[in-house]
Amino acid sequence: MKQVLLLVTKDLRILRRSPVLLGMLVSYPLVIAVLVGLVAGYANSKPRVALVDEDGLPRTVVLAGESFNVQKTINRVSENVELVRLPRPEAERELRNGELVAVLTVPRGFMADLRGMLQSPELQLQTSHGTLSQRVEQQVQALVYSLNQLLQNAYIKTNLGYVDALKHGATITFLGRQIDVLGLERTAKLLRKLPPSPERTKIENFVHDARLALAETDSAMRATANPIKLVLAPRSGRSWALSAQVQSYALALTITFLTLMLAAGALAAERDENVIGRLVRGLVRFGQLIWAKVVLAALVGLALGFGIALLFGVIIQAGGIVGGEPWDRIPLLLLGIVLAAASLGALGALVGGLSRDGRTASLVALIVVLPVVLLGIVPREFFPAAGWVSDAFPFAHAQRFFDSALYDASPWGTVLHEALWLCGLGAVFGLVARRAAPRLLA
Amino acid sequence: MLAARGAGRRFGNRTALEPTTLEIRAGEAIALVGPNGAGKSTLLALLAEGLDPTWGSVERQEGARVGWTPQRPAHYGRLSARENLELFAHLEHVDPVAEANRLLAEFELPDAPEPSLRLSVGNRQRLNLAVSLIGNPDVLLLDEPTAALDPAQRRRLWNTVAAVRARGGAALFATQNLEELEHRADRVAALLDGALVFDGGVSEFEDSDAARVLA
Repeated sequence: MKQVLLLVTKDLRILRRSPVLLGMLVSYPLVIAVLVGLVAGYANSKPRVALVDEDGLPRTVVLAGESFNVQKTINRVSENVELVRLPRPEAERELRNGELVAVLTVPRGFMADLRGMLQSPELQLQTSHGTLSQRVEQQVQALVYSLNQLLQNAYIKTNLGYVDALKHGATITFLGRQIDVLGLERTAKLLRKLPPSPERTKIENFVHDARLALAETDSAMRATANPIKLVLAPRSGRSWALSAQVQSYALALTITFLTLMLAAGALAAERDENVIGRLVRGLVRFGQLIWAKVVLAALVGLALGFGIALLFGVIIQAGGIVGGEPWDRIPLLLLGIVLAAASLGALGALVGGLSRDGRTASLVALIVVLPVVLLGIVPREFFPAAGWVSDAFPFAHAQRFFDSALYDASPWGTVLHEALWLCGLGAVFGLVARRAAPRLLA
Repeated sequence: MLAARGAGRRFGNRTALEPTTLEIRAGEAIALVGPNGAGKSTLLALLAEGLDPTWGSVERQEGARVGWTPQRPAHYGRLSARENLELFAHLEHVDPVAEANRLLAEFELPDAPEPSLRLSVGNRQRLNLAVSLIGNPDVLLLDEPTAALDPAQRRRLWNTVAAVRARGGAALFATQNLEELEHRADRVAALLDGALVFDGGVSEFEDSDAARVLA
């Protein structure tokens, strides 16, 4: 153990005296984390959809007595897509090229169907084969839902106008004809001028009941139009950048890059410095050398991970973000960071042992770490094989441990499961690294 | 004190050293000669146990300490001379501070915090020698030790070798310098293409076929 500590102290001292290397090791994974965040943000950006107008939509449409500016209405309801008007040949060309993800066509006769209300007018949607097609379908469905709601409100408003005329009496236009409606209110007044009789009483009762019933029409019509209504509460959750998932991914990604490259480089450096021969001639065993790199990775990973967790916590607290930082979970998070960093350190030592010299080790570590991280980010639901491969490396387990440790109401099951995975993987990589280490002497 | 018994080494498909037997006895100074790539460094590394033999074995007298100076400096460039000496003394279970003080003085190395990679080539070679002398080894294995030393440092090195021999130790040193062979060795081992082609006295070597081939 003493030999291991001596080597770790030496490596930490060397690391402290290599500010450029240390800066690169810390900043590089952070830059990668930001880039991954930007890519994820791009995935959330508006997909480009063509609007092919084969019916020649007018500038303004009057429906149910309400006037709609077509372009403004389209702009209002297409918040989640970038809708561009294109002629059909151009739209089809861009869809084939992948410049568009979908084409929304307004077919001939659309306005006639809309005005006639004898059959539902149809919009046609054609999507590409890309991964975004499902999302675009949902967004166009949302767009049609929004259009329907606008029209629905207009129709309800018109119908309520008719109901109002029935209640109070008015002159209305219906199917192009002007009609003078007496109305229940004026009917009641006229009835009161008639001499009392059982017939008058019956008619008065009917007018009374009808007025009461029509008084409820407004809310009844709106309720029928929207049997279930979604009420949007004011936004109160965390922004995407501070979500639990982003915190755990940023931590896992940074620690994976740092510890894997550090351990690989540190082991290969023993050969680069030509001291490996001196060390293994009875001063240090190969197993102790591997342990030293694992401990080094765990210590540096712990320091950096604690720094990142602290930074997130301070930002969340200072910003008064809902939920706050779960400070009481930090010790559990740190345990996860140590296990993840040690496991990744063992993998790094294996890379260092196989690569033999520092430059090759850094390159191989980079080549190994990128697919490991990217596979861990791919959602399992879409590509299960990525999940299986990812399970063979510590990144995905580290991310799940961090996520659960920070924000699960009862994290113990997940944490224990992932901790066992990290320990198991670390032991396997460590043993293989021990077998590979004598290659450093060749 | 130290012996290779049919020890040899292969790296991949290349045989660096055929099975070789060589004994180093107390009080001896043996010059190891041969052209570049003959296997001198491999034999020294095998004897130092810095490399495992592919064939044969290395035997060391019980309790005998072996100091090894590889041809290329073997210390940490980002540690100072003192830090290197203290680290290796720790690993050798020797008092680190006392040993570092002794060797810094003996080899006139700078006791400054500057990393050893910034030392001159000569000072780095002196540090390389100093590290191999930690714990007062009984057998010295030196791989072309004087290559980067100035005349004063060379004299100091040979004095150290003489002191080791005087207290019953021994030295095996690889050299390309015939003067060193004549004045510092009392036995010669010659390697050619990974095989030991001569093992005997200096005067016998000078008259041998091996000397003519190596010349």
